[in-house]
Amino acid sequence: MKIIDPHVHMTSRTTDDYEAMASAGIVAVVEPAFWLGQPRTQAGSFVDYFNSLIGWERFRAAQFGIWHFCTIGLNPKEANNPRLATEVIEMLPRFLAKDGVVAVGEIGFDDQTDAEQDCFARQVELARTFNLPVLVHTPHRDKKQGTIRSLALVRLLGFPEERVLIDHNNEETLPIVLDSGCWAGHTIYPNTKMDEHRMAVLVQKYGSDRIIVNSAADWGISDPLKVPKTIAVMRAQGIAEETIARIVWDNPAAFFAQSGRFDVSALEKRPDMDRRQKFETNSVLRGEPAQAHR
Amino acid sequence: MSTKERLLRAVQARVSAAEAPWLDQAMHDASHGSQNQLLVVYTGASQHLGRAPLALSDGGPDVVDHWTVEDGGRLLFLLVRHEASPSPAAFIDAASSCYQQGDAREQQSWLRAVAFLPDPARFLPLVVDACRTNILPLFESVACENPYPARHFPERNFNQMVLKALFTGVALARILGLPERANPELARMASDYADERRAAGRSIPVDIALAMADRARTRTDT
Repeated sequence: MKIIDPHVHMTSRTTDDYEAMASAGIVAVVEPAFWLGQPRTQAGSFVDYFNSLIGWERFRAAQFGIWHFCTIGLNPKEANNPRLATEVIEMLPRFLAKDGVVAVGEIGFDDQTDAEQDCFARQVELARTFNLPVLVHTPHRDKKQGTIRSLALVRLLGFPEERVLIDHNNEETLPIVLDSGCWAGHTIYPNTKMDEHRMAVLVQKYGSDRIIVNSAADWGISDPLKVPKTIAVMRAQGIAEETIARIVWDNPAAFFAQSGRFDVSALEKRPDMDRRQKFETNSVLRGEPAQAHR
Repeated sequence: MSTKERLLRAVQARVSAAEAPWLDQAMHDASHGSQNQLLVVYTGASQHLGRAPLALSDGGPDVVDHWTVEDGGRLLFLLVRHEASPSPAAFIDAASSCYQQGDAREQQSWLRAVAFLPDPARFLPLVVDACRTNILPLFESVACENPYPARHFPERNFNQMVLKALFTGVALARILGLPERANPELARMASDYADERRAAGRSIPVDIALAMADRARTRTDT
C-alpha cells in the first residue's frame, strides 16, 4: 500500500530510517518546522533550519526514494520569546513562497498564552496571503481546552476550515474537530498521544472522513514506521482496504493538494535515486562507490 | 545574619584547602570583574566547588538543604555582583547572562537560587521560559523544592507547571506552596487530564488529588 506520512521530523532521523520507511511503502513525507528540543536564541538559527528543510533534507529523502515536503512556521513554544517571535514571523514570507512548502505550520498552542495566540493568528493571516493550508499542533497539557481554543480562533479569523489540519488528536478531541470542517490528525507514538489499537477503534467508530494518521517521529521516543504499523493493526481489526487507503493516502494528499504545490500524480514515480548527485558539494555517500539503489 | 553571610560561611567550610584561594579570587572576579570574568567563575564553580551537599544546617530556609556547594557558590557570586553593580540594568544583564549562557548544571543552580536574588520578580520571564524545557532535571529545579513559582508565577503559568509535573511523573508534593495556590482552573485542568487518561485506558497519577484540592475544598464547604 502506498503511504504518505504527513507529519515526521526527518531532520532528527537516520538514513536507516529512510530506508526502512521506503521499503514499508512510504512514498512521501511532510516535515513540519518545529522545536528542536532546546530553545533557539536568535532568529538566524531559524533561517538555517528553514533552509535545511527546503534544501538538504529534501535532497536526502530523495536519495532514499522518498518525496519530501515541508511546512514552515514558528512553533508555539518559541512564540513565547517576544523578540525572537517578531523577527521570525517577519522572515516567514520569503520561505512561504517556496516550492515544496505545502502549509503554514506547525503553529498553535503550547502553554496557551496570549503570545502564542498572537503568533497563531498572525500566521493564519500569512497562510491566507500565500494561499496555503494550515497545520495546527494541539498542546500536550490541557489538550481539550487547547483544541477548543484553536478551533474558536480559526473561526474568529474566518479562515476556511477545510484548509486546516488539527493534529495530535485523542478520544476526547476527535469528535470536537469532526464537528468543525477541519481535518483531524493523529500521532501514533510508542508511549504517549495515540497508539495503533486505539486508532483502529476510533476509525471503527468515526469512519475515515477527514481522518489522517502520522508518526510525528522526532528526537524523542518515537517510531517513523508507526503509519505502516497502524495499517497492519487496522487490517487485523477488519477495517476495509479502501478505508485504510483513504486515511494513509487520499486524505493527506487531498489536504496538502490545497497548497497547489503537492501534485499527487507526480508521486506515482519514486524520485531519482542517483547517489552520485550532490547538494551544495555534499552527497549522502561516505566515500563508498555509488551503487544503483534497488 | 544575611543570606550572603550564611552562604559564604557554608561554602568556605566546604571548600577544600586547595581550592580556597580560587574561591577568594572568584568572589573578587564576580563582584568587580568584567561580565566575561563573572561567566567564567560561574562556570568554574562545578570544577572548583563540586556537588557535595551544602548542608546549611543553621535554621535557614529549608530549600537550601537540597543545594550543592556549587549552587551556594553561584548564588554568592550573583549576590556580590549585585552589590557592586552600577545600575539595576547592569545587574539584570549580568545575572541573565549567567542563566542564558549556562549549561544544564549552571542553569539548575541559577533557577534554584533565583528566589533569593534581590527583587526576584524581575526575572519572571526567564523562570517561566525554563518551565518549557524538555530536560527533566531543569524543570525540577524550578518546580520542586523552590519557593519561586508559588511566590511569583501568575495563575496560568503556575497551573501549567503543575500539569507538566503530572505529565512527567514529578511528585506534586515537591511543589512548594501548591495547597495555597490551588484554584478552580487548576482543578478543572487536572480533572480533564484524568478524563483523557481514562479515555486512553491509562493509569491516573495517584497524587492528582493534590491539584484538585481547590475542588475538594469547595465540595466540603457546600
